[in-house]
Amino acid sequence: MLVQTEQETACEAGVQPMVVECHGLTKVFRRPFASLDKAVCALRDVSLSVRRGQIVGLIGPNGAGKSTLLNLIAGLILPTQGRVTICGRPARSVAARRYLGFMPEHPVFPGLYTARAVLRYHAALLGLSAQSIARQVDASIQRLHMQEFADRPASDFSQGMKQRLALAIAMMSDPPLLLLDEPSNGLDPIGIVELRDLLQQLRDAGASVVISSHRLGELEKLTSDYIFMHRGRIVQFGDELTASQAGQLRVGVVSDGEAVARAALPSSRVLSVCDTELMIAIGEPDEVPDVVRDLVAAGAKITSVLLRRENIEEVFLRLCDEGDSR
Amino acid sequence: MRAYELIRETYFRRSYIWIAHLSWLAVYGVFWWSFVPAKTETMGKFILIGSGLFLALTLSAGILGDDIASGRICVLVTKPFWTGKLYLFRWIGLSLQAAVHLLLTGVLLGVLDLLTPKNSIEGLGVWLLATWLLFNAVAALSTSLSVVLGRAFNSLLLLVVFVAGYLLMNALMVLLRGEAGAGWLTAFVRYAWPPFELLRKFAGGEYGPHALTVGRFSLSHSVACVVHSLVLTCVYGAVGILLLCRRQFSRVRE
Repeated sequence: MLVQTEQETACEAGVQPMVVECHGLTKVFRRPFASLDKAVCALRDVSLSVRRGQIVGLIGPNGAGKSTLLNLIAGLILPTQGRVTICGRPARSVAARRYLGFMPEHPVFPGLYTARAVLRYHAALLGLSAQSIARQVDASIQRLHMQEFADRPASDFSQGMKQRLALAIAMMSDPPLLLLDEPSNGLDPIGIVELRDLLQQLRDAGASVVISSHRLGELEKLTSDYIFMHRGRIVQFGDELTASQAGQLRVGVVSDGEAVARAALPSSRVLSVCDTELMIAIGEPDEVPDVVRDLVAAGAKITSVLLRRENIEEVFLRLCDEGDSR
Repeated sequence: MRAYELIRETYFRRSYIWIAHLSWLAVYGVFWWSFVPAKTETMGKFILIGSGLFLALTLSAGILGDDIASGRICVLVTKPFWTGKLYLFRWIGLSLQAAVHLLLTGVLLGVLDLLTPKNSIEGLGVWLLATWLLFNAVAALSTSLSVVLGRAFNSLLLLVVFVAGYLLMNALMVLLRGEAGAGWLTAFVRYAWPPFELLRKFAGGEYGPHALTVGRFSLSHSVACVVHSLVLTCVYGAVGILLLCRRQFSRVRE
């Protein structure tokens, strides 16, 4: 008889606040009989937690440790140091897997199986009854809009079809935690919009999602919570990342832009200036009224004001540069 | 349902499985028809080597290696069941395949014997049983090896290793005859290697010094041979299950 911990019961009831907890995770890859200097430290002392109903994006350059972190949470690999739990259970345990849906980066299916047969196969592996399997399979096909290719062999699938099927498998029986590795690979723009809507539905239902993706523009549409990783460490995450997005204030003036800028602003804040336009560095949106007031006081005749913040891609590139220069 | 689906997937994973089965049945039929073995023993040995060794390796050698190399196993081992069941049900699927194959072989040879009553198939059942036992043991060993190798389609490699290992053991036993090490080597070949010789003697009716026990009755020798084969199969399987449960499923990053 499996004894449930309090956390596990809370997770099932939707009360458990933290679905994933990682403490001091370190992962070193070393081939058998290889020397220590050939070992690769993919993850260094990573600690994080994902709460219920949170969608988190893992971003970072190649080799940052995103897939390693995802694989550790999924229990596919063991940490060299540290521990990771899912709803209070060790990640590699059978009990933890009850709360987990995993979608790998390159999904592969038995070639002779149709999508329907693949879904039935994975539903059976979840331990569902025959009636539940039939219900789950139909629901998954409807949810992921796979009606057109549900009865075609998986060997004929395009990349987008494989992604949909893999996502359907991961989402089967609505696990509290979804781990998605590059879920938007091969999806067309409509598919990405549908994926976003689906993830938002899951979040509203209380599921947690951790997504690893290189496609920052698409990730930006899926979530606003990020964990930025670089060389095996977490550099920034959550609110720190979004707060660090720098802003640029573009102010249009009738004339004498240079003179006004010289009179009203320190030179370090002026990014660029010409006769009819000023580009000013802004730390916080709250600074905008003060800047505009100072410009008006200096005699500027303002025609337009536009605040632009770095998008996630620009933050990513900036953080990569900062990380490389350290 | 889980067991059923895993066993079913073993049957339908590749279309070459059906080609392999049908090809071997055709080979047995041709052998019977063309070479007209005078004694059942000749046909029995042919089936023992063909199905017990070659077919077993063909079907089982890459079975888990294929899953590991393709990455399919990454989703399977995140499902909420003991990872060892993956190995177990795959092996049961192979064993059932072999049982069906050997039943069909028996039916085929029975029909051929009716059509051409120039050979006796008396005792063929024991040979088919011995073949099934050998198949199970070889399939368990090669499935366990495929967990370590983690590569698909390594049948040829395993076949070379098996044959080379067998020849090497025999050569060493001849060279070391009379030496202290010969006893250990003989014991290893007799008890730890897939029991080809033992099952050949079991099916062929010999119960001489190679038998596991020293009982006076042929039934005890027969039971001992069967038990030995099953124990070896369980040991190979246990090793494979242990390796699979402890294995990590990720590539090394360079």
